[in-house]
Amino acid sequence: MAEARAISGKDLREMFIAATGWLEKSAADVDALNVFPVPDGDTGTNMLLTMRSSVEESYQAAANSASGVARAMAKGALIGARGNSGVILSQIWNGMAQGLDGKDKVTGADLVTALLKASKTAYNGLSNPVEGTILTVMREAAAAAEKHAAEVSNDLISVMEATVDAARESVANTPTLLQVLKDAGVVDAGGQGLYTILEGALHYLKGETEQLKLRRPWMVASSIPLTTRAPQMVGAMDEVPYGYCTNFVIKGVELNPEKLRKRLEKKGLSVIVIGDDSAVRVHIHTLDPGEIMHYVNPLGTLHQINIRNMDEQYRDFLEMQKERMPEVDTAIVAVVAGEGLSQVFASLGATIIVPGGQTMNPSTKELLQAVEAVPSEKVIILPNNKNIVLTAEQVHSLTKKKINVVPTKTIPQGVAALLAFDYEADLETNAVNMYKAQSEVRSIEITRAVRATRLGRLDIKKNQAIGFLDGDLVAVADKVDEVLNQALERVDPEKAEVVTIYCGADTKPAEAEQVAAAIRERYPQLQVEVVQGGQPHYNYIASVE
Amino acid sequence: MTVKIITDSLGDIPPEAVEELGITVIPINVIFGRINYRDGVDLTTEQFYDKLAAGKVFPTTIVPSLGRYADAYNEVAEETGDILVITNSRRLSASYETALLAKERMSKKCRVEVIDSLSAVMGQGLIVMAAARVAKEGAKLDKVLELTRQNIPRAHARMAFDTLEYLRRGGRIGKARTFLGTVLKVSPILGIRNGEVYPFAREHSRARAIDYLYEFADGFTKIEGIGVEDATTPDEADELTQQLKVRFPDGPIYRSKVNPAVGAHVGPRVLGVAVLGDRD
Repeated sequence: MAEARAISGKDLREMFIAATGWLEKSAADVDALNVFPVPDGDTGTNMLLTMRSSVEESYQAAANSASGVARAMAKGALIGARGNSGVILSQIWNGMAQGLDGKDKVTGADLVTALLKASKTAYNGLSNPVEGTILTVMREAAAAAEKHAAEVSNDLISVMEATVDAARESVANTPTLLQVLKDAGVVDAGGQGLYTILEGALHYLKGETEQLKLRRPWMVASSIPLTTRAPQMVGAMDEVPYGYCTNFVIKGVELNPEKLRKRLEKKGLSVIVIGDDSAVRVHIHTLDPGEIMHYVNPLGTLHQINIRNMDEQYRDFLEMQKERMPEVDTAIVAVVAGEGLSQVFASLGATIIVPGGQTMNPSTKELLQAVEAVPSEKVIILPNNKNIVLTAEQVHSLTKKKINVVPTKTIPQGVAALLAFDYEADLETNAVNMYKAQSEVRSIEITRAVRATRLGRLDIKKNQAIGFLDGDLVAVADKVDEVLNQALERVDPEKAEVVTIYCGADTKPAEAEQVAAAIRERYPQLQVEVVQGGQPHYNYIASVE
Repeated sequence: MTVKIITDSLGDIPPEAVEELGITVIPINVIFGRINYRDGVDLTTEQFYDKLAAGKVFPTTIVPSLGRYADAYNEVAEETGDILVITNSRRLSASYETALLAKERMSKKCRVEVIDSLSAVMGQGLIVMAAARVAKEGAKLDKVLELTRQNIPRAHARMAFDTLEYLRRGGRIGKARTFLGTVLKVSPILGIRNGEVYPFAREHSRARAIDYLYEFADGFTKIEGIGVEDATTPDEADELTQQLKVRFPDGPIYRSKVNPAVGAHVGPRVLGVAVLGDRD
């Protein structure tokens, strides 16, 4: 049952001093998570400076009650907030202080109230809250704390543990909510920063001072794979100017932050305006900071003006990212059609996916763009279709990069080749191993005939199902599953180990499961897996290994 | 005076070898909910995996305190004036830093050297065993230290996984994060490189993953030691050990288990092979 454990205002301050120290250890790693064009180049540093200002101000607290310390911390955060994430963090402190108002000590139940209030306040002050960021992490962590206190225990440490666990999972999940994170293959930097702060606070609560001193925060890994898509975007992005990240505090009377926000939203991006009638903090991205300063100057006195050139930040950021990339010496460009198949290739480590296949062959130019876009001088191309192999080979003469085309003619061959990719091996060795791997897999492709024809010994009526084995027509029938079975019988299924069935965009998943179940029944030693390929044209593609 | 070797329990050294070579193993703390277990002392591998399967709580691990390390140094210093501490990689835990700082906390007068194995599991274990063996044969501390430095880049470990969920949760996934979220069912093969978890290969079935482990060991021309370890699949590990004994009849091949502290980060059904040796 509930333990009446509670911490004083002094403990609260100590706890966040510890949390700030914990964040400091990973501030550079958090910086490295930033993705452009998501604003702000140094989230970790900004959050750290905000925390420092918050903690410093807490020493000025009028009272040593929890409420007094929290209020001082909120004030310090407001004055010292830097960058997007810093400003949101200051809103979180603002909410915490409101939640702890009048409290002498903090219990587990008080913590829940404060976290919920912090979550709510964080969303205020933003004209356009984005999910998959620090906001989501705050909200989910607070919700978990509430649930834990209601259902398990409202002991302070126990609640904090549940909060930290939920924050970590929430951070890992951010790429599924925010496409830019997914494309860059990172978790949200602000979310990671908040998680680290909470985790540092937990270490303090548990008395793990030695851990705080000796260990470093672990960076949360994304729960989904990392791949860049759509190469054309990469080229276009280079030209976008970012302008200036502009931060300042206005002090005065009757400032009306709400009205100011509405005005500023017309003058720039990523606008955050928080505070009250006497002090307001502004964060805005603008191409003309002079205009902003000119506009706000008559409203009051300006403090802590900080203007940074984001194009410069971006260049520094790119340099930093280069050093931190996993040492992918060789990049892989794969031609794939279908959402599901694209995910399969992405999750297996294709660097860039060029959309295309049987019914839409990409041009040499598209392949070249993809090759030029990857951050590597050595590139392996997987055409995954016999009509694209030649196109892919044209790329050789058009680029200075070292290219190796592994002539995969089907999707299963492409998957087999990709599985054989060795992160340690050089380009030539990989090309040889991948060629060997793709030649060992058998590919079955099932589609419907677009017109009546006669091929070899087979008479085909329009719209009949037809099956290809490694590119050769081998089966015809009215039903798709019959054709799949006929094709399968030709490959010695008794000797195979794994059959993977990719069902097409027009195939119902339930139907595919039935087909798979029938195969399992007939060949019990086979490991049969069904994957949503979502490919056009082919009802089924199957690999037999 | 005989040089004494101290290491931590992430090395997964078989208990018989610990006994025979007189190695002192400091247990890493395994925390389940609120309960703290000492790795391999209060909690066996079997008990650990039973608890893991039964509960919803994810275990975590914590390196023992400076004091615990200093106590261990003092205790060993009763028998010797030369201690070599070989830790798991500093990129995986705080063992190295703790072991280093503990030197200043010890009360006994004794020379203590601390070295980072840049490895873990049986990769670390083989390095430690090799050091303990020459120490037992009478080598001086400088000699043991020198040999250990040479051995560190010669130790290689590979593990076949069923899931990377535990590594991800524990934050130890390192560069193997590129293997996360695979849509197809594959068995990832990870290892340790430069002290960090590194992605080596993906196989499309468990059987192939086990073949990979065999071929990995098979690729060595000179073997000083092989370690085979499992978490929850002893039959697979036994069979693999038999195959390796045919290939390397002179051995030595050590059969071990994944300790709970390692298990907390790798999860069930991992199967590992480590080799101390050379490929050419």
